Amino acid sequence: MANPSTPLVRLSGLTKKFGAVTAVRNLNFQIHQGDFVAIFGPNGAGKTTLLKMVAGLTSPTSGQVIFGGDRAAAARAETGYVSHQTLLYNELTGRENLLFYARLYGLEGTPDLVDSMLARVGLADARHMMVRGFSRGMKQRLTLARALLHEPRLLLLDEPYTGLDQHGSRLLTRLLGTLREERRTVLMITHNLAEGLELSTRLMILHRGRLAHQARQEELTRSQLENLYFEIVER
Amino acid sequence: MNNLKLIWWLALKDLKIEYRSRQAFLTTLFFAVLILIIFNFAFDPGSNATREASPGILWVALLFPGIIQLNRSFQSEVEEGTLQGIVLSPVDRGVFFLGKFMANWLFLVAIDLLILAAFIVFFNFALSGGLLWVLFLMILVGIGFTAVGTVFAAMVSNIRIREVLLPILLFPIIVPIILAAVNGTREVLIHNDFSTLYRWMQLLIAFDVIFLAAGFVVFDYVVGE
Repeated sequence: MANPSTPLVRLSGLTKKFGAVTAVRNLNFQIHQGDFVAIFGPNGAGKTTLLKMVAGLTSPTSGQVIFGGDRAAAARAETGYVSHQTLLYNELTGRENLLFYARLYGLEGTPDLVDSMLARVGLADARHMMVRGFSRGMKQRLTLARALLHEPRLLLLDEPYTGLDQHGSRLLTRLLGTLREERRTVLMITHNLAEGLELSTRLMILHRGRLAHQARQEELTRSQLENLYFEIVER
Repeated sequence: MNNLKLIWWLALKDLKIEYRSRQAFLTTLFFAVLILIIFNFAFDPGSNATREASPGILWVALLFPGIIQLNRSFQSEVEEGTLQGIVLSPVDRGVFFLGKFMANWLFLVAIDLLILAAFIVFFNFALSGGLLWVLFLMILVGIGFTAVGTVFAAMVSNIRIREVLLPILLFPIIVPIILAAVNGTREVLIHNDFSTLYRWMQLLIAFDVIFLAAGFVVFDYVVGE
């Protein structure tokens, strides 16, 4: 049983430069088990770069990400990642996609696990359908299933609401709400202030690569968050 | 054992996708047959000069179209971000390389069999024991070509001019196996002389072992970031 006071992820002096451009500047914060952290920020604030560094996809220019005592790159099996892209094969069925990823993670009882995960995200009936025939919402739910398949200790979500219609957004919010109830540890980037506020336990605003503000969810109402957000990004 | 299964699953996934889309298979085959048809019309298939040059024509038709499949094998992974999905998983990147290599190699061998059949028809070769040795050469050349090609295809997969860059990077490196393939084929198919074949075979086996091992080791850096 993990000590609740021990952070699951610790970012220490995290900085990323692309040539002369500094995308992320000296970020220091911790994420504890059960935290659902929503990160807001305008385009170019460094949110995706931050998430990629936490996932181990990009190495920081300086500073480090400590994942439960290990470097993030060594903890790939402990992380689930939902990016702008689906990371799904269009020419495979939903079930085949999950079976493939389950095997990459060396999961036991793979077919049963995959079927139960498909049922959980409401895609049991579409399991033999090619992903190329899926709607954007179905793809996003399958993407979430792929990221959750190996029961990661940390789930990273990069703008999961992008391209979803209202029905798709509602389904996704319901799924993410379940994750929050299960006390999963989630780091979510979103432009959607209302959804982010509803789902998260902690909020952060990133601006020009810096952590401009952070608060616990109960400290802010929706209108306060909106006022604070626009005050920061319009500075 | 577990890694062998992973290699097979990685390869099986690629083969299944190709079987369903048939994009690379049809374009590669069409390109190869087109090369054979052009050479067939350009030269008199019955002349001695054409027979002497035919091993070179065969290997141009076998290897040049293979570039299409090598490019496709990573292009589709990059387009949907699935390369990121594999890189994020705990699978050893050397194992990932071997899975990709295996799929590309099986694809190449399958298509090469069809190209060889077309070559026999277009250039009037009789079925003989020498063709079995050409098959053996195809397998060995395919291993080296695919091992180097898989690494370079991964390297250029994020570059816009990858279709141009891949052959420029690949062909200078595989000059030794092209020489071995053309000379070995000429010995067994035209001169019916097997005395020097083993030297070309040795060269091919050495090349295959070196570049398979190199691909396994360097792939971590190639797909790392």
